[in-house]
Amino acid sequence: MIDWLKNINKEHPEFWKEYLSKFDKKSKRFVILSTETSGLNPVKDVILSIGSFAVIDNSVVIGDSFEAVLLQYKFLHDNGLSNEFIVESKMKKLGELEAIKSLIEFLGNAVLVGHHIDFDVEMINAALERLDCGRLKNEALDIDVMYRKLQDINNRQFSLDELSTIYNLPKSDRNSSSEDAYRIALLFLKLKSRLGIK
Amino acid sequence: MNSIAEHIADFLKEYPPFNHLTFQELSEIATSIRVVNLEKHKILFQINDALHDSFYVVASGVINLSVIADAEETLLNKCHDGDIFGLRPFFAKNNYMMTAKAREESIVYAIPIATFRPFVANNSEVLNFLLESFATNTPNPKDKENLRGKLISDNVYYSDQQSEMQYFQSLNYNNSPLKTTITSTVLEVAQLMTETIMNNVIVCDNNMPIGIVTDSDMRSKIATGRFPLTASVDKIMSSPVITVQENVSLAEAQLLMIKHNMTHLCVTQDGTNKSAVKGIISERDLIIAQASNPGVLIKEIKRSQTPKDLKQIRERLADLIQNSIHKNIPLSHINNIASEINMALIKRSVELSILELGSPPARFAWLSIGSQGRKEQLLPTDQDSILIFEDVTPDKYRDVKDYFLKLGKKTTATLEKIGYELCPNGHMGSNMLWCKSLTDWVKQYNSWMNTPGENSNDLSSIFFDYEIAFGEQKIEEAITNTVFKNAKNNTLFFDFLGNDALRKNAPLTFFKNFNVEEEGPNKNKFDIKTRALMPLIDGARLFALNYNIKGINNTYQRFKQLAITDVKNSEIYLNCAEAFLVLSKFRTIEGLKNDDSGQFINLNELSKIDREKLKSALAPMKELEELIKSKFQLTQFS
Repeated sequence: MIDWLKNINKEHPEFWKEYLSKFDKKSKRFVILSTETSGLNPVKDVILSIGSFAVIDNSVVIGDSFEAVLLQYKFLHDNGLSNEFIVESKMKKLGELEAIKSLIEFLGNAVLVGHHIDFDVEMINAALERLDCGRLKNEALDIDVMYRKLQDINNRQFSLDELSTIYNLPKSDRNSSSEDAYRIALLFLKLKSRLGIK
Repeated sequence: MNSIAEHIADFLKEYPPFNHLTFQELSEIATSIRVVNLEKHKILFQINDALHDSFYVVASGVINLSVIADAEETLLNKCHDGDIFGLRPFFAKNNYMMTAKAREESIVYAIPIATFRPFVANNSEVLNFLLESFATNTPNPKDKENLRGKLISDNVYYSDQQSEMQYFQSLNYNNSPLKTTITSTVLEVAQLMTETIMNNVIVCDNNMPIGIVTDSDMRSKIATGRFPLTASVDKIMSSPVITVQENVSLAEAQLLMIKHNMTHLCVTQDGTNKSAVKGIISERDLIIAQASNPGVLIKEIKRSQTPKDLKQIRERLADLIQNSIHKNIPLSHINNIASEINMALIKRSVELSILELGSPPARFAWLSIGSQGRKEQLLPTDQDSILIFEDVTPDKYRDVKDYFLKLGKKTTATLEKIGYELCPNGHMGSNMLWCKSLTDWVKQYNSWMNTPGENSNDLSSIFFDYEIAFGEQKIEEAITNTVFKNAKNNTLFFDFLGNDALRKNAPLTFFKNFNVEEEGPNKNKFDIKTRALMPLIDGARLFALNYNIKGINNTYQRFKQLAITDVKNSEIYLNCAEAFLVLSKFRTIEGLKNDDSGQFINLNELSKIDREKLKSALAPMKELEELIKSKFQLTQFS
């Protein structure tokens, strides 16, 4: 309600209006999302890279993907950090505006899936706010929650590495958000069929 | 292009045919890939599924490729990391011919055909690899091992039973071969061979084979003047001899001869050349063995003109069965082959009748019922058959029925001459009652199934085991549809059949002794047909009808299929399947021994071990009985 009041007089950017219009229909598409951030504070920290894949009909569609390194020059400068790793990466480099814009276009009305997805969503919402947009409307699934539900465990959380070990997925030494997103995608497929989610 | 596509391209380039492509091309392919996760035992595609739009590469895990033939699953291949499978959509338009199932949790890459096709067209090495992969068929598991990672067959064709039989069929050969010693001269040996009209002689040292001399050695080495007649035989013999074990199979012998380019194989005690000579196998023996091969028999049946010819063939079949049982060939194989030959005999008999009577006025089907319909007829038992002709206008009905009755009479008479006795209950196509139009038959089945027990004298469960021997396939299908339509939710019918199955007396007494006949000509003999085989046959039929298993009439295969359909009780079914084979074997051996139907087993002639074997084969019946009782409410007729 407060969000709505706050935003009522603001003109949203064009891509955001289009995004909102997609929610008329329910989607069969899942989008696996993984972000790399500078820290754990949604307000102060920023997204450094995004990796994301679509899952349609029980399979990961490699072509239907989105990945980007965000050029957070301002943040890095303010915190006195170097931007070396960005220069080294082969991934597409975008400013925050373009990156978030393309991501929103890529997501559409899909159901989001991630590991501790609420944090990723929170980070994206913070970025969206800086761009005069509302909050993400997508439904979201968390593979950690799915696993705990499957096993009926309530008292602890599982890291992505732990889940990978449980399901015999090879751990990769190169850690990037795309890599994580791919692992999450495979874990999601496994959990999905075990939980019988259509 | 994203980083994961790059990883996948990295993975693919290790394996053929992808190693023929550039990294750039692979990245393009990788971008269009779908990644699929398969849980353990999950089926990716199965026989007769419509083709997918992609083929598959195993990323991790193991995928089993199998075909199901005669209700038995045969594993064709296991695909491991990097193996490709499911190539069918590349080359063929019809549905999948095999089943791909995850043996453990697996991840596979689905590569869309549309994306990959241009690379195939532009790269002959890739095309060749795929073609080879698609066309390879390796029945030998050892070959498969060697080919692993290279070729995965997709194009399955079954080696038919006849050639399979060759792997079991053993040889008759000369077991008193000519032998000579190393010191004899060529002249002596030649004289010996001429006197005994043999074309070969084994050169032995202390009864161990060291070489062989054949006609061709005489021709090429003596007649050409290269060696004098007085030379010792070791100068001209071929050495070493290829030695084999006593029970070598036809196929094996053939392979060895081809491999070593020899015309003779020497049989020794332990199969090496360091033991005593037992015999010699020549190419001629192979030819003779092939003549009593089932395929040859069937060909001869097709050419036969008189019942007498057919009778001879039936007798040769009996020999074949006896030999096969003696050689411990799996009974299910013998059953298959014998039933094919039986069917061919019946078919030919009908054909002979038609040749005599002129072409039939309407389409019809000659169905074998009972044991022949179940394809379990090893011994010549009585003939059971029905004749169904298509519906005709009422004014023609009499003439048509007349013709078919004549046809039935002729055919049953021919079959009688061949050696199949007439059915004492008159269950034959020559009987007015069982030679009817399709509509009448559908009515007949309807009344049997919907009001069982009312004219129960008529209903014999053998009418539910039928197999077309001659004529229009569609008519058989129509009957099958009627049966299964009526069977659906028909508690009364299953009640009746269930009671029928359980009515037979228990095979063992309370004290676990055999329940033998108490009086009559077969006093103190065990009635294996009614007490042991019939309950299994009835049980299998009952469940097959209940689980809607069409097209499988064989008791053994019915149990096998039931084990697949009703997984919960699969162990019981599999036990019954095995028990059925054991019991049929006992019956067949007994029948061959006494030249009868083998219904009564003389227990005193069995060894103690055999008696125990027979007893243990009776055990699964109890379980089957319990299963019937719990599955069907048997109240109405008990």
